[in-house]
Amino acid sequence: MIALQEASRWYGQVIGLNDITCTLGPGVTALLGQNGAGKTTMIRLITGQLRPTTGSVKVFGEDPFANPEVYRRLGYCPEIDNFYEYMSGQEFVYVLARMAAFEHAEAKRRTTEALERVGMAEHARKKIAGYSKGMRQRIKLAQAMIHEPDVILLDEPLNGLDPVGRRDIIDLLTLLAEAGKTIIVSSHILFEVEQMTRSILLLHRGRLLATGDLRVIRDLIDKYPHRIRIETAQPREVAAKIAALPYVVSLQFDPAGNALELQTRQPALFYEFLPSLSLEHGLPIEGFSSPDNNLEAVFRYLVET
Amino acid sequence: MELFLYQTALKDFLRAKRIAVWIAVCAVIFLIGKLWTEYTGTLSNREAYSQLSSILVFRVVALAAAIFSTAVLSQEVEQKTVVYLLTRPVARWKILLARTAAAMTVVILISWLAAIGVSISVFGGSAFSNGLLYGDLKTLAIGAMAYAALFVLVSLMFNRAMIICLMFAFGWETSVPNFPGDLYHLSIYSYMSAIAQHPQIEAARGFLGALAGQLGVNELTPTKAWPILIVLIAGCLGLGAWWFSHFEYLPREDAE
Repeated sequence: MIALQEASRWYGQVIGLNDITCTLGPGVTALLGQNGAGKTTMIRLITGQLRPTTGSVKVFGEDPFANPEVYRRLGYCPEIDNFYEYMSGQEFVYVLARMAAFEHAEAKRRTTEALERVGMAEHARKKIAGYSKGMRQRIKLAQAMIHEPDVILLDEPLNGLDPVGRRDIIDLLTLLAEAGKTIIVSSHILFEVEQMTRSILLLHRGRLLATGDLRVIRDLIDKYPHRIRIETAQPREVAAKIAALPYVVSLQFDPAGNALELQTRQPALFYEFLPSLSLEHGLPIEGFSSPDNNLEAVFRYLVET
Repeated sequence: MELFLYQTALKDFLRAKRIAVWIAVCAVIFLIGKLWTEYTGTLSNREAYSQLSSILVFRVVALAAAIFSTAVLSQEVEQKTVVYLLTRPVARWKILLARTAAAMTVVILISWLAAIGVSISVFGGSAFSNGLLYGDLKTLAIGAMAYAALFVLVSLMFNRAMIICLMFAFGWETSVPNFPGDLYHLSIYSYMSAIAQHPQIEAARGFLGALAGQLGVNELTPTKAWPILIVLIAGCLGLGAWWFSHFEYLPREDAE
């Protein structure tokens, strides 16, 4: 459905996207990358707001730039948080439904339906100016779905949503994907993406760093020493127990004296062991986290190895 | 679809918050008209009306055109809402022309209100018997369209178009008609003056004459001015539609 062939985009002297070749089909695909990675540029190329400086972008086999035929089958939920603030949510979605060539009655029906789907039926008549960030995200999503497009692009759609809102939107996107739609979601939060899909495009400084199944990348990462930080009031006692484990490579105490950081080659085994520190040995574990369980770690792995 | 685009834009442009300012401007012009007729006893009603129309109403049309024409697109880019317009299954040129038509309609309505206000302030109860008013209404309509078409084109081509348009409306349009030689051909105001055919006033040779663009020689006739303004409108709209369909318009923010 979507094909980029050696697509690059320059903004004057700055490169936004560098020689990207990929195809995207049905299901949820995540565009993963840190701020400035080129996610928004890629989405703008696919939605025909920008033209590639070199290479080509095709959507349904056509050049998407200012192409109404493409927009008939494409929905876009932008990252920007700007609206016609004087309108109500209902008016906003209705106007955009009319602009998708639906007559009044049909546009009205679709507006009601879309607002219900995103959980905004109750607040639809309020002015957008009074909406919370989460409500604004939902309204943007409603307008993107109003014409039941085959492809929906969502730029950071979970920004500003509370956990319940995130779950609702993720469920909705999953449903749409199951119905055969192509959903492309950009995000810079690995945890978010993992809840939506395993299919990723990893962008870094405008380049396509990796594509495919996020689990495979994770497995690769897990072969390298994985850092885990444990917060405890008795770091020496905890260290004594951990040091005996064969899969722990190193240990380091936090200078503040209330935590230690270890490296392990088998994080899954270590996480299985972790509860026994409290349950069997009675040691106080106040918290644990993994500095490697985030997007930066994925990039570090892919860039440095 | 086109009608809906036009209606939506018109509804936006005619929002109370926006239009209240212009009603206030028209009210001020009416009051100035009242004071003018009160304190310039030497002028006939026709002369007073002509002077007020040339100095105030013809400026209002340029000012309103600058404000509303930049709202057609520049404002959408500034407020980042342009993204919603450009990702709908509507040809870009249709969006542009429908919104421009809405801007033209509002500018015409505002300038007509100002002209009628001046006519009432000068002629009182017989304001609508003023023959110059009907000529002015036609002139203002074509002038509004010409300014709006030109300013929309400017706003498509340049960032911060409002500044350029306001400088044109007040700087260029006030000074160029007074220049010696044929430069007045480059001013929309000169064509509007030619169509309006306001009587020349001997008393208005100084500052007021300059404001009314009467210091220079305007040899344009209505038969010349009408087609030139129509060609200008068609040319600007055509070029604007092409430009908008071929160039990128992104919300104003740093490129990622």
